[in-house]
Amino acid sequence: SYHVSAVLPRQQMYLQLTLVLSISLGIIQAVDRSNFKTCEQSAFCSRQRALRPGQSSYRALLDTLELSDSRLTLQLLNNNNKVRLLLELYRLQGNITRVKINELKPIKPRYEVPDVLITDPPTEPMSVVAQDERGVVLSLGGVDRRLYVNAQPFRLDIMEGPKLVLSINSRGLLAFEQLRMRKDTISHKITSTVGSMWDKIKNLGVALPSKAFIILFSPSPILPTLHLTPLTLQASEGEEQEMEVDQPGMWEETFKSHVDSKPNGPSSISLDFSLPGVEHVYGIPEHADSLRLKNTDGGDPYRLYNLDVFQYELFNPMALYGAVPVLLSHNTHRTTGLFWLNAAETWVDISSGQVGLCGRTDGSGEVPQTDVRWISESGIIDVFIMLGPRPADVFSQYASLTGTQAFPPLSSLAYHQSRWNYNDQEDVAAVDRGFDEHDIPYDFIWLDIEHTDGKRYFTWDKNNFPQPKDMLQGLMDKRRKMVTIVDPHIKVDSSYKIHSEIRSRGYYVKNKDGGDYEGWCWPGNAGYPDFTNPEMRTWWASMFAYDQYEGSMENLYTWNDMNEPSVFNGPEVTMLKDALHGPWEHRDVHNLYGLYVQMATAEGQIRRSGGLERPFVLSRSFFAGSQRYGAVWTGDNSAEWGHLKMSIPMCLSLGLVGISFCGADVGGFFKTPGTELLVRWYQAGAYQPFFRAHAHLDTPRREPWLFGPDNTALIREAVRQRYALLPYWYLQFYQAHRTGQPVMRPLWVEYPEDVTTFTIDDGYLIGRDLLVHPVTDEGSRGVTVYLPGNGEVWYDVHTFQRHDGALHLHIPVTMSTIPVFQRGGSIICRKNRIRRSSSCMENDPFTLYVALDPQGNAEGELYVDDGHTFKHETDRQFIHRRLRFTSNTLSSRSAPPPGNTIPFPTASWVEKVVILGAQEPKAVTLTSSGGGESSVEFEFDPVTLVLTLRKPDVNAGVDWTLQLQ
Amino acid sequence: MHCPILIAVVIWSSCVDSQKIRGISLSYKRFYRERKSFLCIDGSKLIPFDQVNDDYCDCADGSDEPGTAACPDGRFYCTNLGYRPHYIPSSRVNDAICDCCDASDEYNSHTACQNTCRNLGQRERAEVKSQMRALDQGLRLKQQLIEEGVLTWRDKQAQLRDLQRVLDDLQTQLDDLRKEDARRKKEVDALRELEIGALETEENSHRSHIMNESPVSIFYELDSNRDGRLSAKEVRAKLTDIQDGERVLSEDEAVALLGGGHHVDLSRFEETLWNSIRIGHNVTIRGRVPGRLVKGEPVLKAAVSAAEKAAAELKKVEDAYETVYMEIRDLREKLATDYGPEREFLFLYNQCFQLKVHEYFYELCPFNQVTQTSASGAEVSLGKWGSWAGSPQHRYSQMKYENGEPCWQGPTRNTVVTLTCGTETALRSVKEPGKCQYVAEFQTPVACRPALRQQGVHSEL
Repeated sequence: SYHVSAVLPRQQMYLQLTLVLSISLGIIQAVDRSNFKTCEQSAFCSRQRALRPGQSSYRALLDTLELSDSRLTLQLLNNNNKVRLLLELYRLQGNITRVKINELKPIKPRYEVPDVLITDPPTEPMSVVAQDERGVVLSLGGVDRRLYVNAQPFRLDIMEGPKLVLSINSRGLLAFEQLRMRKDTISHKITSTVGSMWDKIKNLGVALPSKAFIILFSPSPILPTLHLTPLTLQASEGEEQEMEVDQPGMWEETFKSHVDSKPNGPSSISLDFSLPGVEHVYGIPEHADSLRLKNTDGGDPYRLYNLDVFQYELFNPMALYGAVPVLLSHNTHRTTGLFWLNAAETWVDISSGQVGLCGRTDGSGEVPQTDVRWISESGIIDVFIMLGPRPADVFSQYASLTGTQAFPPLSSLAYHQSRWNYNDQEDVAAVDRGFDEHDIPYDFIWLDIEHTDGKRYFTWDKNNFPQPKDMLQGLMDKRRKMVTIVDPHIKVDSSYKIHSEIRSRGYYVKNKDGGDYEGWCWPGNAGYPDFTNPEMRTWWASMFAYDQYEGSMENLYTWNDMNEPSVFNGPEVTMLKDALHGPWEHRDVHNLYGLYVQMATAEGQIRRSGGLERPFVLSRSFFAGSQRYGAVWTGDNSAEWGHLKMSIPMCLSLGLVGISFCGADVGGFFKTPGTELLVRWYQAGAYQPFFRAHAHLDTPRREPWLFGPDNTALIREAVRQRYALLPYWYLQFYQAHRTGQPVMRPLWVEYPEDVTTFTIDDGYLIGRDLLVHPVTDEGSRGVTVYLPGNGEVWYDVHTFQRHDGALHLHIPVTMSTIPVFQRGGSIICRKNRIRRSSSCMENDPFTLYVALDPQGNAEGELYVDDGHTFKHETDRQFIHRRLRFTSNTLSSRSAPPPGNTIPFPTASWVEKVVILGAQEPKAVTLTSSGGGESSVEFEFDPVTLVLTLRKPDVNAGVDWTLQLQ
Repeated sequence: MHCPILIAVVIWSSCVDSQKIRGISLSYKRFYRERKSFLCIDGSKLIPFDQVNDDYCDCADGSDEPGTAACPDGRFYCTNLGYRPHYIPSSRVNDAICDCCDASDEYNSHTACQNTCRNLGQRERAEVKSQMRALDQGLRLKQQLIEEGVLTWRDKQAQLRDLQRVLDDLQTQLDDLRKEDARRKKEVDALRELEIGALETEENSHRSHIMNESPVSIFYELDSNRDGRLSAKEVRAKLTDIQDGERVLSEDEAVALLGGGHHVDLSRFEETLWNSIRIGHNVTIRGRVPGRLVKGEPVLKAAVSAAEKAAAELKKVEDAYETVYMEIRDLREKLATDYGPEREFLFLYNQCFQLKVHEYFYELCPFNQVTQTSASGAEVSLGKWGSWAGSPQHRYSQMKYENGEPCWQGPTRNTVVTLTCGTETALRSVKEPGKCQYVAEFQTPVACRPALRQQGVHSEL
């Protein structure tokens, strides 16, 4: 092997790990499921799932209702154990309702997820519309949007007019395990004494004045002290308080050889949501599963628990590297979203079916319904109900909570060449040369873990990368860039600066006994910095300064891998849940860890440039809000056709929950792709947001030119198509950054009333205007593409052939075919001069593709800025044009209100306009601001109806009009 | 008289043209004569001449924009005076990266490119010169090595012949020794049987006793000088008249007993003297009291030791045979290896070359194996000699070593050794571009080819 003794390659480490876990030896073909918990094996999930739908044991104590301008609070009483919860309801701006439930008086605070919401969400006034002893009706704004609070059993219904939009706790699955003292402790004895006194008092009847309760019980930590009214007392009457019996797994849990000590005991929470009229739900990534979520009845729920899963399986609800607890529901007239803000291990059950007259909600007749139940191990219930009603509204609503996609540097949207590993500087130079020799553009070359000095991040292997700045300068001379990996596990080595600083500053995650937690990862024994600590993050960010990260330069960017965090010898290959992040257990923060790592790294890149330059950081792990920090990829996939196909629903699901900058390893990480698969993967990857080829250390080299001239040409063409479309991709990311709309969209997002689109996940849209249906089958001779839109038309971007919408189109394919269609009615800007890297194309002219709709109209946008700084934001230096073709006139006007932006000087001009579905004009005249009038030559193809306007030669930043006569 | 003038005019005018048309070579100038219109070189389109190099792509073949980046797959000609002219993809025109050493590709970008052609040219010429020197020297060395190879080849052939002769000799020896060995073994077996018989029967009769003894044992008892033959002298010394034990037999009597000859071997003995002794009418063995035969043990011992000696002798020769046989086989195998058309690589036979790369120590033993030894001393096979693996034109430019130690979850290690021309023979580099796929550069004069002289200028740089 390359480093026989010095290195434990990734698979070998896994092998050793599996040996430790006493798993069978030999070639592991797929995920070893026994390494990961099922719901049954997860004590809280199994406890919670044992609870069956039925009448809720909770009731709302209406007399505790307090309504301030924008916040309503109300206590909930668990009839069984008399524990009180505090319900908070907020009406948030933009048609969002927030429901928070916590213990009224927890014996210690429960974790509330910080740093995910971009602000304290702005509220809007709520008012009580009606109230009686059965419940309260609140106005949620709009004409007839109401929130019904049903007291007993406790239940919330959101109505719009007569229509029930969503119910909460309608199946009675609200379950809130209150924090408690362990029974063998002294405090428990006190508690149980108090409990028995409670029973005695209860037996005395209702005669006691309520004040007596207050006086008598105020010292008790678990009993209510306020608002104990005769009403509640009456309600308590006749009910026996159940003595809660400890169940196995409440105070300690063992999985394989790993013991979770659970010093805080049981703390899980659960709540159900019913969505009447809904058959299609989406989201809650990351899972290697279809876009539309499946019914989990009879199987495991979808699991959200960030894990490093070795050779993951397809069509499986198992947890993967990232988690975004956001679920979207959709039907022909409404799209809604549920955002369950909880960072602990979470399971989501989905059950859909027809609800008849005796249904679970008060629907009438036979209607479909989907029930969703969330279960989390700790923390509080904090749910944002995003009421849409259109898909775009849900995206805006979610963006208003967690922010939008970071606007990436333009070059990061180009092609990335990666491999574990490029061996040395010479290797990097040779690969760089290879791209030039074969005339294939690329922008970034990546270095995996072997580039470091013994897996010490921020360092370089002395033998193989002795002069990193020379190497980076070499790339810079070609206007290209590099990414090095910086993982969050830090080698325990007192001579390693990063380690000794983190240790001396006390920034490591601690084990339950207070010592530094140590786990096993690439470097061997490693510590894990506590990224939940803002001080730690600031320090980490400072490590990216050019004088700290030796050998770094401004064209060096970062990749955060293994940030679930991955711990080879930990339970489920991650950190012990009883490890400590300050006062909080790892259990509480687990799914947030990866987000924080990327956050701190992105911050470091911003800081090193004095706040000027946009960062680029790729992360494997993520959470709600991760979109603000960079790109993610689908982790360690395999070189199989199924994985190629799966890359589409996986990235679509991420896009739906805000994370637009998504891609999969082109070619597949594990195993070796056949040539056909590799070519098809390049073709598909070229039309996915993050476009990076990557490969496992043990696989043969697969740079694009290693498979014969024909395949080199096919790959070159795919990459070139990507580069030509970079202006469109950049515009989409600009829009995503501004509005939160996904870049890669399921068809139903744009065609929400077309039921055919609801299950499509082999084709998708980039923005609104490009429909892509990559070939993902071996030996494919043709694909059937669904082109949506009744009365719309689509144009094949390669042949310009026009097709009608709302039909299935079969198109024959050859190895060079990438089925892509432009929507009639759109204008797309391309740069057709493909150069070595995207930076080299900076000043190149645009070609406008005007695809006319059946009415002869089209619209589009053009966005230009410097491509890499924040000046578009800080100085409003950019060009944003609205392009419109109507009444035979194509015009370019400033999109934002004029005068609002500082004119961004661009050398780019419009070199060509291609009008699809056109008629032959007699003459074409160009009018430009300050340029007067001139005539423009044109060519018309009467067969394809393509009109090409030759060289309008007008600057991309000015107003102009092209008049067809 | 007119012709030279005409030619001069044509050259002059075409020079003017090609100066105007950016990005074309002289050989293409004929396509770009300034006229009213320009025909795309592929003939697909006729465009006004002012649309040539106007930064808009009109021709599908890109021929209208040789000097701009407007056409995809177009090419730009770097004249590179002082160095070598060459084409670059037109996408590298005005991309702010200096590609042509004469800076002609960046005529409209903000990048200030220096004209480096002169330096490059000088450097190249110096390099080519030194390369040519090395090539010449290499070729001379190669010739020497070829000659050495011829001698080695002859040596080896002679060695093979010698070995073959030795082998033949050994074969003859082996045949004899095998026979002798068999005989000795048989004898020992017989004596053993006799011994067993003697112990079993307690007959006192001399005759019957003698009859119980084997002729072989008697033969050896009589063969005092152990030459495998009985002489009359030995007969007279050992045998005596059965009637008169003191009487010495006469020479004639002895010869008669031996069937008329002066010597008998064992088989003849069995036909002659043995019968006389067995019957016991005339002669008996001196000192033997009838009925009290001397015990056979010492005889058996002697026979066993003789048999062992014979076996040892046989083993020795067998071993020698084996050794020589293997030597011949190895030598044949090695001589069957392809050492190149002139056996120029033969000199590498039995040599090994080492190289240290950081903490690893590599060893290439041509036509044998490649190994890697780590700092900790662990040795890993990176492949055993497989075959020549160069392109069909240059088969001898690459060697392939296969089936080294297997990789975890992967194929076996292998190494491709590329041979380069140089004045020394040495392992220059070893790399592992892909896991367990090694590439090595091995420099040697025998990789020098006269053809490199022509290629030197054009492709090596």
